[in-house]
Amino acid sequence: MPKHISRLLVLMAVAFAAALAARWYFTPESFYRFGHYRADSVPEIAAQEPVFQTPRYCRDCHGERHAQWSANNHKTVSCETCHGAAKGHPQNGKLPIPSDTVKLCTLCHEAMAGRPETQPQIEAKAHSGGQQCIVCHNPHAPKIAGVAVKVAGDPAAGKKAAAACANCHGAEGISPNDTWPNLAGQHAAYLARILAAYKSGDQKDVAMTPLAQALSDADIQNLAAYYASQGCDAPPIRPAAGDAAAGKDLARNCTACHGETGIASNPAWPNIAGQRAGYLVNVLKAFRAGLRKDPMMAGVTRALSDADIANLAAYYAVQNCRPATQGKGKP
Amino acid sequence: MEPLVHTAPYIGYVYPNETVIPWTMLIVVYPYLTGLVAGAFTVSSLYHVFGLERFKPVGRFALLTALAFMIFVPAPLLLHLGHPERAFNPVWTPHWTSAIAVFGYAAGFYVILLILEVWFMYRPYLVQQAQQRPGILGRLCHVAALGSNDLSEKAMRYDEKWIFALAVTGIPAAHGLHGYVGFVFGSLKSREWWSSDLMPVVFLFSAIISGVALLIVLYVLSCKLRKVPVDLPCVKGLAYVLWGFAMFTLVLEGLEFANIVYKGREGIEIILEYVTGRLIIPFFVLQFALGAVTPLALLTYMIWKGTTGKALIAGVTTCALLVLFSVWMMRWNVVIGGQEIAKTAKGILEYQIVVLHREGLVTAVSVAVAPLALLWFMTRLLPPWVETATWQVAKPRTGDRRAVDRRNA
Amino acid sequence: MTNPSDPSGKARREFLRRLGGAAVACTGTLTVAGTLGVMKDAPAKEAPPSGAGSFPTKDYDWTKHRWAFGVDATKCIGCLRCVEACKKENDVPPDAHHFNTWVERYVYLEGEDKPRIDSQHDPVNIEASGSEREYRFANRYAGAKVDKAFFVPKLCNQCSNPPCVQVCPTGATYKTKDRVVLIDQKYCIGCQYCVQACPYGARWFNAKKGVSQKCYWCYHRITKGLQPACVEACPVGARIFGDRNDRQSPIKIFMRNNKYRVQVLRPETGNEPNVFYVGLDSEVA
Repeated sequence: MPKHISRLLVLMAVAFAAALAARWYFTPESFYRFGHYRADSVPEIAAQEPVFQTPRYCRDCHGERHAQWSANNHKTVSCETCHGAAKGHPQNGKLPIPSDTVKLCTLCHEAMAGRPETQPQIEAKAHSGGQQCIVCHNPHAPKIAGVAVKVAGDPAAGKKAAAACANCHGAEGISPNDTWPNLAGQHAAYLARILAAYKSGDQKDVAMTPLAQALSDADIQNLAAYYASQGCDAPPIRPAAGDAAAGKDLARNCTACHGETGIASNPAWPNIAGQRAGYLVNVLKAFRAGLRKDPMMAGVTRALSDADIANLAAYYAVQNCRPATQGKGKP
Repeated sequence: MEPLVHTAPYIGYVYPNETVIPWTMLIVVYPYLTGLVAGAFTVSSLYHVFGLERFKPVGRFALLTALAFMIFVPAPLLLHLGHPERAFNPVWTPHWTSAIAVFGYAAGFYVILLILEVWFMYRPYLVQQAQQRPGILGRLCHVAALGSNDLSEKAMRYDEKWIFALAVTGIPAAHGLHGYVGFVFGSLKSREWWSSDLMPVVFLFSAIISGVALLIVLYVLSCKLRKVPVDLPCVKGLAYVLWGFAMFTLVLEGLEFANIVYKGREGIEIILEYVTGRLIIPFFVLQFALGAVTPLALLTYMIWKGTTGKALIAGVTTCALLVLFSVWMMRWNVVIGGQEIAKTAKGILEYQIVVLHREGLVTAVSVAVAPLALLWFMTRLLPPWVETATWQVAKPRTGDRRAVDRRNA
Repeated sequence: MTNPSDPSGKARREFLRRLGGAAVACTGTLTVAGTLGVMKDAPAKEAPPSGAGSFPTKDYDWTKHRWAFGVDATKCIGCLRCVEACKKENDVPPDAHHFNTWVERYVYLEGEDKPRIDSQHDPVNIEASGSEREYRFANRYAGAKVDKAFFVPKLCNQCSNPPCVQVCPTGATYKTKDRVVLIDQKYCIGCQYCVQACPYGARWFNAKKGVSQKCYWCYHRITKGLQPACVEACPVGARIFGDRNDRQSPIKIFMRNNKYRVQVLRPETGNEPNVFYVGLDSEVA
């Protein structure tokens, strides 16, 4: 064989061997162990640190909040969805509390084509006039007790039972003084709910608690039916202390649930039009202090000053307790 | 700070991840280059394998052209890769189900084959230069000739055998190298515009005509530069080859398109909307009317009329330029066109050409033109034209030496 | 038989000597190369796993799980909390053009046969959300007469017969024993062939890292007993994840409860996706 051919063959053999050696050298150690890939990459990927920690992680420190949240409708909404991922918390400081709740909450709750009927949806402007959602809704327990129970009580039986209530609330539900509330013409569903709350202990009042505990469920139904059927006109006890005009301004924030003049749109919520001013003042202060429990009311009263409360009470006290023309549905 | 990512505007509905078009102009350049390689090699083998004497003037030049373009074939790929430094991963651990892994080996094998064939072809020249050139250059040539100056009858016979073997092996190798690119597109289920059994064949035949056309243009150009008369039988032969393959290519491309339209599978509406809208000019006007039908008509006319002389040269060169353009448009319409039709079959994107970018227009043009510069340099180093060589040519081993001298045809 | 041009056989001996030398050289190099363990071409059979006992981590054995994902499109409200959660969890570029998971909205207006489809990359939605980093569907059909509408979450289907794995030239993307398709970001060369091959548009190219990426069912979470971030984030239970080996897992319950109605996307491709949908209509692809 001519020497250039043999030299060429040797050169090619050497190059081939070098290529094989390079292939051996450059093929990663764990390749081919389980298949055509680098086996070491699997534990590398598995070792990455999770960013979201899940609500279980939050429960360790935020037990009460967690309990409240997991007992209400938003229990399917993870804490980190609104507050951001909890990796590095609390070492890196607090997690943000969303400020623009209209923007945040409407992500899920804006009425939109394609959303199933089961999803609660609203049109923001019509629903709350652009107010922040947390004015009415506690984001951790957003469900407002707005489900009106059907009241099928007997007003006649209720009238009999109401004799025991007359000392404070008046024979026909018109309270004799400024401190105790009128019940006449109040929504039956609301009355039923609040009596049941006193009875169960959800709501506590020194006077009402023992009285409610003595009532049967049937009694509650009957009482509610009776008082709802009563006429609500009552002469004012004395002029209210606050400024009704200023109160009217503030009352705009209450319209969504209590109506423009205090006639509530939802039977589960109380009418406050024409209610005793003194009672209204006391009860608003009680909400503000957390003595009277309602997650929504607690939120709306948090920022009210004593003067605000007095003004609101003054406004509602002079409103007409009878609805003018109805027809508005749920806000 | 994020790198600049180019997002494509769209109409209809496309998947969110589709708005960044993955394969850009560089991936149009790449099959264009491998196509030119395959085509140039085919021309070279017409002489070196099939012994057609009339192609002797371009036989050697075609091989150099194939090598010059083959050297630049990896360039568009390396510029496109996210990790060019890992470019050998498919060679160390080739995943054989992937056509791109096959490319690594096919290209490697083929580049070695080309280098070997060129080496064998020029060995007598290297030996001669080793003896004639003084000093360092002479030493280099001697080393390049593997330290041998054996030009005996026996040695030349060995060389002939090797050249023949390499040339014969090279035909399927070159065609496989380019055909697999068609397979890269045709085997995918994700895009209706690409998914076709005919795709490798279409790519292959359009590659052949692009190579033939390139050789025509470069050969005529080189004759002008060397102030040498153009060999008419050679050019006419190349015109015949171009004509035949171009007809077949046109039929194949037409068949493929007709297949898609006729079958009317899911996604046909968007394809038709695209083809009758955005694609009218690039597809029907540029690729077909201007780039395929026109040169075919012109070639048919010239062959029928027996055109010769300057008119023939001018006409055939014009056709060759049009064919080169048409094949470029075909690559463009397949690669870019396929990505402009969304995978959703409900939307159309718009690929926007970027000028100054790693994958932009300037880069693409440079990569496409650089092989020509290399080729020019190579022809200086290893002169391919027989009439200028004083050394003994390694004749191709042919079975039939009845080639008729048709210089005056 | 003597050769007239070489009566003493000298040339022939010379030739054979040279041939023998070349053969020895070739054999030698091949043997050396072989012993260097170069010839390991075929994938190994069940080799002993790395680490002490189980693979890939000591607390998680991948042979014991067969993960699957369910999507209940009838429940999806299009809130996109899943999209945001995934972006934060998996370091996905915070823009509107790269998603491991996304949600599509299909709206049929009265009088139209074909739905209007949009997703997070639609400029109208980007504007509604405020920026490319935030995600929200614009309420663009508020005043229109809508015949029907629904949302469809999308993500990587982790196919059993993945076309993306088939086309990967290096073996950088692969299917694990627990049914997840992963990407080895240290080995990927960034050719984007897999991005082209996926018929669902699940894969994308990370220009900063130079590699391909996609949803990987939060492998780093599921190997620790957690759920993928999008499943955790979904407030309405439209995303379900679980182990098919566990009869009481959410995914098994989901598939049993919907036994006549479970579908996959593009079944005609033969990919065998492992994301099971309820609530698709014929226009969803």
